This record gives sequence, structure tokens and C-alpha cells, in this order.
Amino acid sequence: MTAMQPEVRAAHGGTVFDIGYQPYTGVREGRNRGRIAVFKDGVRTALAFGRGGREKILPWLFVVALSVLGLVFAIVAGAADRLGGAGTAEKMNLPSHSDFYGIASVILFVFAAVVAPELLCPDRRHGVINLYLVRPVTGADYIASRWAAFLVVILGAAWLPQVILFLGLAGGDPVPMEYFQKHWLDIPRFLLAGLVMAAYATTLAMLVASFTTRRAYASVFLVGLFVITAPFTVGLSQDLGGAAGQWVSMFDLTNIPVHVNDLIFGRASEMSEHAPARTLPAAVLVGWYLAWTLVPATILWWRYRRLTP
Amino acid sequence: MTTGQQLVAIDHLTKEYGKVIALNDVTFGISDGITGILGENGAGKSTAIKILLGLLPPTSGSAKVLGQDASNSIEVRARVGYMPEHDCLPTAVSASEFLNHMAEVSGLPPSMARTRAADTLRHVGLFEERYRAIGGYSTGMKQRVKLAQALVHDPAFVMLDEPTAGLDPAGREDMLTLIRKTHREFGISVLFSSHLMTDIERTCDRIVVLQGGRLVQSGEVESFTRETETVFIEVDSNREALIAALEKRGVVVTVERTGLTIEGRDETVYDHVRDALVEAHAPLRRMAPRRRALTELFERGEAA
Repeated sequence: MTAMQPEVRAAHGGTVFDIGYQPYTGVREGRNRGRIAVFKDGVRTALAFGRGGREKILPWLFVVALSVLGLVFAIVAGAADRLGGAGTAEKMNLPSHSDFYGIASVILFVFAAVVAPELLCPDRRHGVINLYLVRPVTGADYIASRWAAFLVVILGAAWLPQVILFLGLAGGDPVPMEYFQKHWLDIPRFLLAGLVMAAYATTLAMLVASFTTRRAYASVFLVGLFVITAPFTVGLSQDLGGAAGQWVSMFDLTNIPVHVNDLIFGRASEMSEHAPARTLPAAVLVGWYLAWTLVPATILWWRYRRLTP
Repeated sequence: MTTGQQLVAIDHLTKEYGKVIALNDVTFGISDGITGILGENGAGKSTAIKILLGLLPPTSGSAKVLGQDASNSIEVRARVGYMPEHDCLPTAVSASEFLNHMAEVSGLPPSMARTRAADTLRHVGLFEERYRAIGGYSTGMKQRVKLAQALVHDPAFVMLDEPTAGLDPAGREDMLTLIRKTHREFGISVLFSSHLMTDIERTCDRIVVLQGGRLVQSGEVESFTRETETVFIEVDSNREALIAALEKRGVVVTVERTGLTIEGRDETVYDHVRDALVEAHAPLRRMAPRRRALTELFERGEAA
């Protein structure tokens, strides 16, 4: 019998050594790594990455619904152009980029109402927030990272259907390059308008979520806020008429960012064209939007800045 | 960490919440090893820990952690671990994912965070269960995850707030073993707050006793134990003569219902007892060393 080679012996009679506790001697990236980690976790939580199929249903349902809406717009406009010749969709005033956010605003706001509380409420309910605050991130870092995470998610959900719509409209045109040359300005417009919608929805939803540890309470309150203010303000502004009616119309929470969207595209969208507030000066509409975004953002920052376990 | 290095220095620290004084002119230092903060509820233990973590500003005085001012300590927190007393774990995620995330929040790069998360879970005995959602863990397992998250970034110093709270005797024993292991095997110094004296006595090298926001005592646990050792004797008759003979020899005697308690653990005490028993013709029934509980520290504090 020949002697076994050393590696064979190792394969037959391997020994596992416990090397014990090994101190960490690698690099420590400090506060910025902490902020990025909170941001990444926020995106994962919002889109339910790493969770079961059931948890994924709700966020992805909204993303799919918005994308389908963009696809339907594109198919309808494409069909009109194919059947009636190039430019028919525009002549028929079919919904396009400028109308999309107005029409999709309800879906976007409900998306924010349902998903944004998931990023804040469980951390406070289960006390996980206390573990963040004793690490090299502050309360302000935490809320800024969470806010940025949800902004990115809702921005993606807002831009994706606009991209589908643009590609659909360009693809439906007999000469796609010509369509692109004529309408390329729609791209920065819908990107900016999407940012306006996303910042508003994210901030309001996060602020409401910061007042409760229960996701359901925050979601119901937010949905109620958006759903109730719209018919209430529309009815009251029509009854009052004039300047008073215009100001009451300003409190239609779903239309506040849509007015800015209209300013970006330079035309009224289908959802806001009958709103009395539409005729107010641009500075008033932008200022009103900023007030409804920056004031909640400041309150949100203030609440988390003062947080201690 | 070299032995004896000062990790925490608290100097004339006072913390007031309106009219309530949570900490009143407290001064003590903590060096390498396992230090216990002992105190009843409301003694100021958690307030002291929050000040050390830089989460609360002191009203006056100073608190330094790892040589830096605790109130300006965001970067210091990267080298400090904290295990809170209350619930602090998410229910829907696995221990592995949670620790990985907490390591990244502490500043470790993602690849290192993954390795550290797995290693730390192995060290606290949860390696096999690491992919299960934390919501399904027992109380003992959850306490281990809480400890693991405090250790995952390899801190120089870890603060444990009531780590044995809510555990059954076996779980409590396991947790105390882990705490000892944290210092002796992992080389991480521990500040361990508890209101359970036996836990502190069995685990810590040093002790800080707080009561009503004041520092009652601080020093080596062994010196407290030595200080609180007594000899208990029981005789069949001539008890009064024995007391007189002991007192004649300068021995401090406390008369109890069934016997006598004699202060001190010095060998000479046993000699005095022997001589006094002979002189008083008292037949000895029982003689045993006995330790006073650390409760007496509180009694002394109240008396002071």
C-alpha cells in the first residue's frame, strides 16, 4: 500500500479550528456610511426587497398601475396617430406628458400614503430608532436618509410611466427621430414636474407618519386628507366664487403640485384646468407649493433632530 | 485595550429635568474590564448611560468617553456599543440581515459588515438561527440579538442596560456567561447596568453604586465583598457572657434572633471567637462565614 498524499489526508480527516473572536481592524467609514446604510434600507423597505411575496404586492401594485397608465396613454395616442395620421393625437388633445401627473396624482398620493409610513412607523414602534441614535448618525441624518430613500422610490414610480409614454409616442410616430427633435423638451419638463410631485408627496406622507407609530393610522389619515380636501374645496370654491373661491381652491391638496406641473409645461392639465386657483399668479402658486413642502420638511426635521431614546 | 486604561471619566456630573435631579454631582471613572452600575429604578443609571452616549447634555460637569467629550461624540459612537433595556428589534427581518444593516450604520463597509454579522451571531450562539425572522425568536434569543448588535462593529467599549431583564434563570445564566466572555475572550470592556446585585457581584470586576442620583460607592467588587463578610455563630448557652467576652476583645457584635453576627473576615476574628468561647464557657453549636448582601450599600447610602 502506498502512503497517502498530504492533500488526500486532509480531505479524509479535515479538522475545523475555531480561531475565536477576531477584532475588526478594517476601515471605519463613519457617519457617511451610516447615512448610506439608512438610505439603502429605506429603499429596500419601500419596495419590499428581501421580503416575502405578500409584502411586495402593495408597493409594486402602485408602480405597475402607474406604468400601465403611461402605457395606455401611449397606446391611445399611437393608435390615433396610426389611424388618423401623424399629429392626430395632438390635434385631438389626447392626454399627454403635461396631463399625466394630474391624472396620476391620486395614485401617487395613495402610494405615498400607504408605503411611506412603512419607513418610519415600525422603527419607532419596535424601538429600532434607539439603535440608530446610539450609532454615528443623528436623528436628522436618519430622517434625511429615509426621506431621500422614499423620494427616490416615488420619483422612479413617477418617471417610469413618463418614459414609457415618451418612448410609446416616439415609437408611434412614423418618423421617431422627428418626434424626438420636436418634443425633446418634454423630457426635462416631466423630470422636473415628477420631482415636484415626489417631493410634495414624500414630505407630507413622512410628516404624518412621524406623528404615529401605527402605519395604518398614518395611511388612513393621509388618504382621507387627499380624498376629502378635493371634493370639499372644489364645492366650496364654486359656491363662493371670486377671489375667496380662488383661495379656497388653493387648499385642494391634490392640486397644489399639479399647478406647478402646469407652470412647467406651460399649459393647464385636464385635472386642474377648472380649478379657480389656476388663474392666480405663478409666484403665488409656486410659493404656496413651497410652503406646503418646506414647512412640513422643517417640522419633520425638527421632530427627529430632538429625538432621544 | 491595555489594562487600567480610563475609558470613561465622569466629573461632577449633574443632570436635572426641571425640578427633578436625575444625577447629582457624580464623579467616577471606568477603566478596562467589566464595570457594573448598580442602582434601584430611578437611581440615574440610564441617564448616566444616555449622557455617555452623547444623547443627553449634562446640566453641569463633564463626561468623557474614550478621551472625548461625550456631548460631542458622534464619531466616538462608532467605537461604542449599546444594548438597551427595552425592545429594540424589528420583527420581520432575519437576525443576519439586521446585524448586517446595523454594522453598516456603524460605519463598516458592506462586505465587512456581512462577515462581522455572521461572526458575531456565531459568538452569541445564534449562527444556526440567523436566517429566521427575529419576530419568531424566544426572549433569550432576542436578548442575544440585542447583545450581538451592540458588538457587531467591534466596539472598544459596550454599555449594557439591564441585559438580564425578563430572562428565566437559565437564560440569565447564559447572558451573564456571554457578558464575561465579551470582556475575557473578545477584549471588549463592558459597562453593565442592573438593579440585580447578584448579577453584578457574579459578573463585574468593579462596581458603581448609585442611589437617588447620588454616587454611593465605587471600587472593586472584591473589596465590597470583603467588606461585607461576617462570621455567624450560634451557641447552646452563656450567650450574654460570650457577647461580653467578644466586646472585651474589641470585636463588633450584632445580636440576632438565633445567634450573633461578627464583623470582618480577618483571621484574628476567628482567634478572638475561639478565646471568647473558652472564656465564656459557651458551647458552640454552629460557626459559619456569611456575606452581607449588597443591599447594605444602599442602607449605608441612606444613612450617609
